[in-house]
Amino acid sequence: MGDYPLGVGRRLVRAFLSRDLRDRADVLADKQGRGYDCFGANAAGSELALAATKPLYDRWFRVDSRGIENVPDEGATIIAANHSGTLPFDAFMLHADVLRYSSPPRLPRSVMDRFVPQLPFFGTLVARGGGISGSRRNVEHILETGQLLIVFPEGTVGIGKPFRDRYKLQEWRAGHAELSLRFRAPVVPTAIVGAEEQMPLLGRIDSLQLFGAPYLPIPITPFPLPVRYHVRYGEPIRLHEEFPGDPRDPTRIKAAAQRIKDAVQALIDQGLAEREGVFT
Amino acid sequence: MSRYLITGATTPIGEVLMRQLLSHSDTSAILAVGAEPLRNRAVEIDGRVRYLRMDLTRERNLRDLLYGIGRELEIEVILDMASHRSLSATGSRVRALNVLTRRRLLALAEEHPTLRRFVYRSYAEVYDVTTALPSLIDEAHPLDLRPDAPQWIRDRIEADLSVCTRMGMSRLSIAVLRTAECLGPRMGSQLHDYLSAGLCFRPLGYDPIVNLISEDDLGRALALAARSEAQGIFTIPGATTLPVSEIIRRTGRKQFSVPGPLMAPLYAARRTVLGTDFDYGLNRGRLHYGGVLAGARAEELLGYRPETAVTFPID
Repeated sequence: MGDYPLGVGRRLVRAFLSRDLRDRADVLADKQGRGYDCFGANAAGSELALAATKPLYDRWFRVDSRGIENVPDEGATIIAANHSGTLPFDAFMLHADVLRYSSPPRLPRSVMDRFVPQLPFFGTLVARGGGISGSRRNVEHILETGQLLIVFPEGTVGIGKPFRDRYKLQEWRAGHAELSLRFRAPVVPTAIVGAEEQMPLLGRIDSLQLFGAPYLPIPITPFPLPVRYHVRYGEPIRLHEEFPGDPRDPTRIKAAAQRIKDAVQALIDQGLAEREGVFT
Repeated sequence: MSRYLITGATTPIGEVLMRQLLSHSDTSAILAVGAEPLRNRAVEIDGRVRYLRMDLTRERNLRDLLYGIGRELEIEVILDMASHRSLSATGSRVRALNVLTRRRLLALAEEHPTLRRFVYRSYAEVYDVTTALPSLIDEAHPLDLRPDAPQWIRDRIEADLSVCTRMGMSRLSIAVLRTAECLGPRMGSQLHDYLSAGLCFRPLGYDPIVNLISEDDLGRALALAARSEAQGIFTIPGATTLPVSEIIRRTGRKQFSVPGPLMAPLYAARRTVLGTDFDYGLNRGRLHYGGVLAGARAEELLGYRPETAVTFPID
């Protein structure tokens, strides 16, 4: 890592990390440099993301991760995952998982809903750690510059679905497939098993849209239950090879998105079959 | 191309631009126009520079400029940068300089025998900044067309669009450079006025990213545009991308976060009591959400890449 002095706050954050995580943070810091990127991410933010997610990742959700080697070492890549759990802890755990285990370490750029930057404190923290607002131009820039994008094609529909629909993928947006075809970026289908049971949704108040959020969720529990997360990365799918031709053809894009959806659903089913219980 | 007419030449950017152009041996003449005396002796004593102090809002002056000395010097390129800097300046005379001068200058230039190119310096402030829009701002980004925007911004947008509408319809090759904010006195920088207070208030919970351009980079971008044939709109980013809190810190100011709803009355009171220029309503978007210019088009067609970071603290 660069030989510049660290502030007190950053030293405290680093003290919270294990030696392995500090080493990874140093590799990321060398890549990111001293400044901020155009979305507000910086090296200190990556360290903060690792530190802030550590108790949840290690102790609360005890994440069991398999298949991270399927994430390419470099170049434009899209991780497409299912989204659930009323509050987006699954997104934090996936972001943390990539930060912890991608080799060499890569900074994931998780796409967040457009209302997230309106949230005080939280929006800033997420941006420092690598999150980006879900505008098309933003995600295009990430792929143009050969970075690693994490998308949740179900969006808020997935995270706010009723408990009875758990592990059934909802309406699957096709934007990631179009981007993959245009930028020739492989898509790594990814399943997150466990989040569906963390805080089942009791109801929601659609008329209360604080800070631009589409609704106010009412979960059964005030805090997430200590379910065990299982993250499964599938083999990268090169949509531009499987669906050659005009990358803007709607039929081709729809078929490509369905291909990713099927792959994610298969990984979910596999993860469900492999897990022994909700909390183990 | 080597013969230039520069409006707004007495601004700090105008002087940097003149130095940039004079550094090229093929620059044979610069006709510089400004509202104030030229302060830069080094530029003044260069035999290639002719300086005229002139009120550009008078149409007769514009005609005499272009078809008198401008024709005599066989001016080929206009670099148009003249506009009122202060947000407090309002009214028809201000609009005459900010908008009407631009239109008249373009109309006269289109019939001029030697003029071939028109470069207009616009501002990143014309862009809208909200969370619904990309934080990476390119040429296609929506403009801030709020009906309640102050004249300062409305004039800039109208002037920008007035020039843009002539692209492809005029025999001139036209370029509009929407530049990142250049911090400094006499630049019309809202952020500079914000930072001139000993204590800067920030909306609690927000610390967005801001992109700043140095005088050298801005002058270089304008010089590159003047020497290029590329047409169209170009967003011109700077080399400094920092959160607002860090900019305040590096400027040596104290900062204090207050709940968002308190920002407007606090800064309205500051304007009223101290007569300062910073308008919170105008800057609300970028004090909450980041917006950084994308420079891919400028790099590809003008060969411009930001190189020089802003030096803190600012005067």
